[in-house]
Amino acid sequence: MTASAGGRFLRGARDALVLPAWVIGFSLSGIGPLAREVGHPIEIAMASTLLVWAGPAQVLFYGSIAAGAAWGTIALAVCLSSLRFLPMTVSILPLLRRPGQGAFEQALLAHYVTVTTWTESLRRLPDLPVEGRVPYYLGFSNACILVSAGMTGVGYLLSGALPLTLGAGLLFLTPVFFTLSLTAGARALPDAVALVLGFALTPLATLLAGRGFDTLLTGVVAGTVAYLIGRARRRPADFEALPP
Amino acid sequence: MTPPLAGLDGPWWPLLSLVLFAALPTALWRVMAVLFARRIDERSEAFTWVKTVASALVMSVVAGLVLSPSGALAAVPLVGRLGSLVAGLAAFFLARRSLAAGVVAGEAVLIASAWYAMGR
Repeated sequence: MTASAGGRFLRGARDALVLPAWVIGFSLSGIGPLAREVGHPIEIAMASTLLVWAGPAQVLFYGSIAAGAAWGTIALAVCLSSLRFLPMTVSILPLLRRPGQGAFEQALLAHYVTVTTWTESLRRLPDLPVEGRVPYYLGFSNACILVSAGMTGVGYLLSGALPLTLGAGLLFLTPVFFTLSLTAGARALPDAVALVLGFALTPLATLLAGRGFDTLLTGVVAGTVAYLIGRARRRPADFEALPP
Repeated sequence: MTPPLAGLDGPWWPLLSLVLFAALPTALWRVMAVLFARRIDERSEAFTWVKTVASALVMSVVAGLVLSPSGALAAVPLVGRLGSLVAGLAAFFLARRSLAAGVVAGEAVLIASAWYAMGR
């Protein structure tokens, strides 16, 4: 049990390398072939993982170029798909707050936020002492991003060599991991409600708002319902806690 | 394929386009979050709301990947995709909340369904 910053960093990196880094790495290996298709060199494909660090945004970027979309449209689609980073990052930064932390350090921490690092951090950080959270998070996140950049390169080189059944398994890795990771991180009833409604309302939202806006609509509706349920359950307890 | 912007084509165009049209539109929200998060308390009502909304957003992305998949995953019928997710969740709880057990079980059922659906 080491409590030094270096020890926490290595502990984070080790926890990432057990499974999460490989899951996100496999899911981003699919970016390689997409980048090759539009004529980008392998180092730019890998740079897209390091600089964008958002699977859906990278898929949209390369998929839209291949489809011949206008640059303005591509930027807007990427922007919308990355909107989820606002609530995700806002919810993770208070856990990583420490005295004397500047905006630059916060922006650096924010760059590493992705679905995997977010779900895993939300689950693991509250159990760590405040001073150990930033080193742990940086170790965890750097292991994830470096493995993923490497896997994007591997995907680039392997392009099209995988049989279809394994290709399907590769694409399923992201949804199955995120479902389990979110389930593991659900600490109370509102969290569970947010997850169940978030899944169940999506087909309806797709019908109402179309692909592209359905995620945002579902997130706000399901998240708000879950929040209100949690608040209704908290209220009576608050009153009981008041002094007579 | 989208042609490079006039006057900006050249060896640097792939990197430039990546930064302008993918990295910056994503970084925008991360930076906005830094500006907002400074004023948010971990135990506040706003924080609780933002967290449930973010959870639901991610779950919705997952639902999209499972319900309207692309590529090779689209060749697996819906019942196979949903069944694999349920198998993953079941294994996760049966193995005392083990992520690895859940992922392996879900993947095994999915690959078996894919193998079956694609006629071996």
